[in-house]
Amino acid sequence: MDTVKLYLHSMGMLLKSHFQYPVSFFMQTAAQLVMEGGEFMALLLIVDRFDHLNQWTPGNLYFFFGLMAVSFYLTEIFGRGITGNFPYLVRSGQLDTILLRPRGVLTQVLCSATDPRRITCIAVGVAALVMGSLQSPVHWSFLKALALTESICMSMILLLGLFMIEAVFCIFSVKSVELVNALTYGGRSACEYPVDIYPRPLRILFSAVAPFALTMHVPAAYILDKPLYGWPVWTVFVTPLAGLAVFAVMYRVFRLAMRHYRSTGS
Amino acid sequence: MSYIEVENLTKSFTVRKKREKGHLLREKTTVQALKGISLQIEKGDLIGYIGPNGAGKSTTVKILSGILTPDGGRVSVDGRVPWLERKKHVRHIGVVFGQRSQLWWDVPILDSYCLLKDIYRLTDADWKTRLDELTEKLDLGSLLRTPLRQLSLGQRMRAELCGSLLHRPELLFLDEPTIGLDAVSKLALRDFLKEENRKNGTTVLLTTHDMEDVAALCRRVTVIGHGSKLYDGTLNELLARYDTKRTVTARYDGEVSLESLPESCSMSRDGEDWRIVYEPAKVPTPELLSRLQSVGSIRELTAQPQNIDHMIAAMYREMDL
Repeated sequence: MDTVKLYLHSMGMLLKSHFQYPVSFFMQTAAQLVMEGGEFMALLLIVDRFDHLNQWTPGNLYFFFGLMAVSFYLTEIFGRGITGNFPYLVRSGQLDTILLRPRGVLTQVLCSATDPRRITCIAVGVAALVMGSLQSPVHWSFLKALALTESICMSMILLLGLFMIEAVFCIFSVKSVELVNALTYGGRSACEYPVDIYPRPLRILFSAVAPFALTMHVPAAYILDKPLYGWPVWTVFVTPLAGLAVFAVMYRVFRLAMRHYRSTGS
Repeated sequence: MSYIEVENLTKSFTVRKKREKGHLLREKTTVQALKGISLQIEKGDLIGYIGPNGAGKSTTVKILSGILTPDGGRVSVDGRVPWLERKKHVRHIGVVFGQRSQLWWDVPILDSYCLLKDIYRLTDADWKTRLDELTEKLDLGSLLRTPLRQLSLGQRMRAELCGSLLHRPELLFLDEPTIGLDAVSKLALRDFLKEENRKNGTTVLLTTHDMEDVAALCRRVTVIGHGSKLYDGTLNELLARYDTKRTVTARYDGEVSLESLPESCSMSRDGEDWRIVYEPAKVPTPELLSRLQSVGSIRELTAQPQNIDHMIAAMYREMDL
């Protein structure tokens, strides 16, 4: 319980740090809005030209886009320590400081950074979700709301797990590896669309390696009343747990890697 | 058993070289940072850990504080193996890096201390008493609401020290704590450390290049170089071994020639000043003085105080570091 308290306390302090430079903060937040808003506009313009993509209507596609945007940027806000800050922690030697304190390494890494500027990206994502759900239209029920919540949480945990691959590389080579971005940022861009529009190799990649299909697309298809491959309802609540599995594996690897951490000069 | 026991500690790093043309893989070299160091430190000791740059000082500190896992050897600090029981271990230690900040950069230092309270799970009452005590001793009262980034180097070092002592560590590692500090801050810091050691019995391991720090604080010094221990004992004994030469400067009325001095003396001339370096063990001081007097009339004679840095440099040279 006091881990949660520590996390919240740290987040509060980081927010305070961000607001030390208010002008910069608001400018960058606005820039994020333009960026993510632009991406959504592009989607609107493209989708406008089609009646449907496979079985998916434009409204469905907005819903997929929104689901990814919300999950991804929530991860960036709450998991910034892993998704962006980790290479810096290693290079600057702050990881040493973390190791000198009697708390878990991952806990402290997560406590070390946040990116509140992403709030506008999340707003765009929520707008896309709402638009998608109105146009599709989605007939909301308790189960569907539960599926959406689980989908977002598990996608966040999955993203955290994928970003940890990069962190592990950092521990060994002190530099970030761009290749891993293919899974994280690449995964985000690709899985803004339903996975069944892709050829088989990509479908396998996004089900077995970076299982966005399992954490997002299976529940989303259920919410949109078009169950993927006609799977039964219970699968909707089971498949997202793949995110947890990926995270668990990466957490073990991360802990192992920390044993080989070599620190930087004094 | 001693408080800190280090036996035959080894650690090596692989360094990758830049890839050469025509080679597919980069070459690797192994650097032996520690080649079997053994140490014993008793509770309440204040020991200086010295050695030239790259000798392995920081590596030792990082292993003892649980940051790094060694390749071989045995370490026990109060019965704990640092890298295996990291969380349990670091609760009882404090570390200050002179060149690295451990507090949060953009927030008032009081906020940092509040967060440290949560990190170390201190009770409000305990934290408050300790904070009051430290702010008073370190003269931080007026700075508590200032963000760390606005503090001067000396103020920052005091703030860092306060942060690393809040949880009352029994063991304190200081890595070049006085680097870049002015004379007043240095003296204040030394006084504080002495008192902390005396009153709370905190064991202190001080890594530094500032020999004045060592002379002022440490009863015992350990010298390491190239990853091996070269000396372990009192500072005075160490100095006695290398403190063999004395320097005098003489200024004469009129021109003189100093060729009649014994051969073991070395001399150099700078304008009117003659600088003579001699070893009292080989040339007794009365003899040198009478020789100096015999060549002409001395207007001024200055005896140079022995510089501890020069001695250490001579020692490093002799030990081939």
